[in-house]
Amino acid sequence: MAVRFIDPKNTAAYKDYLNADPEFKIAARYMTKDVCIEVGNTKCIVKFRDGIVTQIKSENAFADPWDFAIRASEDAWEKFLMPIPPRFYDGIFGGMVRGNFRLEGDTISAFSHFWAVTRMLDIFRELQNK
Amino acid sequence: MVKADQIVCKYIHLNIQGIEYRVFYEEAGTGIPIIAQHSGGGDGLEWHFMLNNPEITSRYRIIAPCLPYHGYSLPPESEEWWKQEYRLKKSFFMEFELALSHALGLDRPVYIGCYVGGNLGLDLAFDYPDEFRAVIGVGAALSSGQPTLDTFYHPNVSNHYRMVNSFYFCAPLTPEKYRREIAWCCMQCAAPTTKGDLYYYFYEHDLRGKAQFIDTSKCAVYLLTGDYDPTISVEDTLIMANQIEGSKFTEMKGLSHSSMAENPPVFTKYLMPILDEIANQPTKK
Repeated sequence: MAVRFIDPKNTAAYKDYLNADPEFKIAARYMTKDVCIEVGNTKCIVKFRDGIVTQIKSENAFADPWDFAIRASEDAWEKFLMPIPPRFYDGIFGGMVRGNFRLEGDTISAFSHFWAVTRMLDIFRELQNK
Repeated sequence: MVKADQIVCKYIHLNIQGIEYRVFYEEAGTGIPIIAQHSGGGDGLEWHFMLNNPEITSRYRIIAPCLPYHGYSLPPESEEWWKQEYRLKKSFFMEFELALSHALGLDRPVYIGCYVGGNLGLDLAFDYPDEFRAVIGVGAALSSGQPTLDTFYHPNVSNHYRMVNSFYFCAPLTPEKYRREIAWCCMQCAAPTTKGDLYYYFYEHDLRGKAQFIDTSKCAVYLLTGDYDPTISVEDTLIMANQIEGSKFTEMKGLSHSSMAENPPVFTKYLMPILDEIANQPTKK
């Protein structure tokens, strides 16, 4: 199963979908951060400006700065994105506790905006299975 | 006709370690008493399904207190509590349960607790086996490591962080309405209280090298853990269960960290055989 949110063909549509989600709009308010999501060796940067996702960049993102990163293997992301994920892959924090996901960088910022990040990933799961 | 729950709410004043606390508790049912202790960063609301379940309250008297600093149990009036960091200590936590039990005249009640409360059940079984006829530890283990707790109470991190954690600690098939309710309740607890509760959980609860001395002939031990709980896994609880002779462990399929509130009918299915077994225990004097 290919992880769809890092596919450059999908990023523009995913950005619009995020910004249209009612819960995400509340969760992401005031957020101005660059969030790196790493799937195996592939990186994408989700850019938030004042609560709006302005870009999901998955091409040529190797030198783009980021505030915090969520990293996991492709296998871990595939499990996370399943409609009913297996245990220890169903949530980022739980996945971190069990060593399946890593949070790096400005972790305080990550926890400050945890709701926006987790809602975003929920939407990615929804879109993965559409 | 007005619809009303059959729950009674009261305040009781308990003296614990020389300080008077005005403690709120909810009560429902008649029969064998059960003290239902909420988890860290929670309050008695966690047990509202059990308090409202006539299958349980027709035979058991459920008492669900709010620890001081939680829910409707305020910090003590006599102390300048704002000048110190709140930390839940094991000795206080155990003495609170004993003080409550004695003040209400309970005859060797059953104790049930979840997560932080679950671990306390095992500490009570170890230190006070004559005070409880049985303990039910939901999401309990020998110990849990000593991580940094700063993010639970940090000027740049709001209570939304705890709301999100509790939401995503629910199993994937948790009904949305219950998941949202758990998250909402969790968000209501003060951040310093959550951090302080986790101090007991991570730094004071440690039954390694001791669990094997718990005497289940005095205090029966039942362990329930949700298969999706990432904080205390089924394997973690099994390690402890294997060390406590006579303990009984059940893996709860499709449940996770807040199992009693995630899916009450499913949790009740696991709980009732335990309560039935406790009810059929010979009475000890």
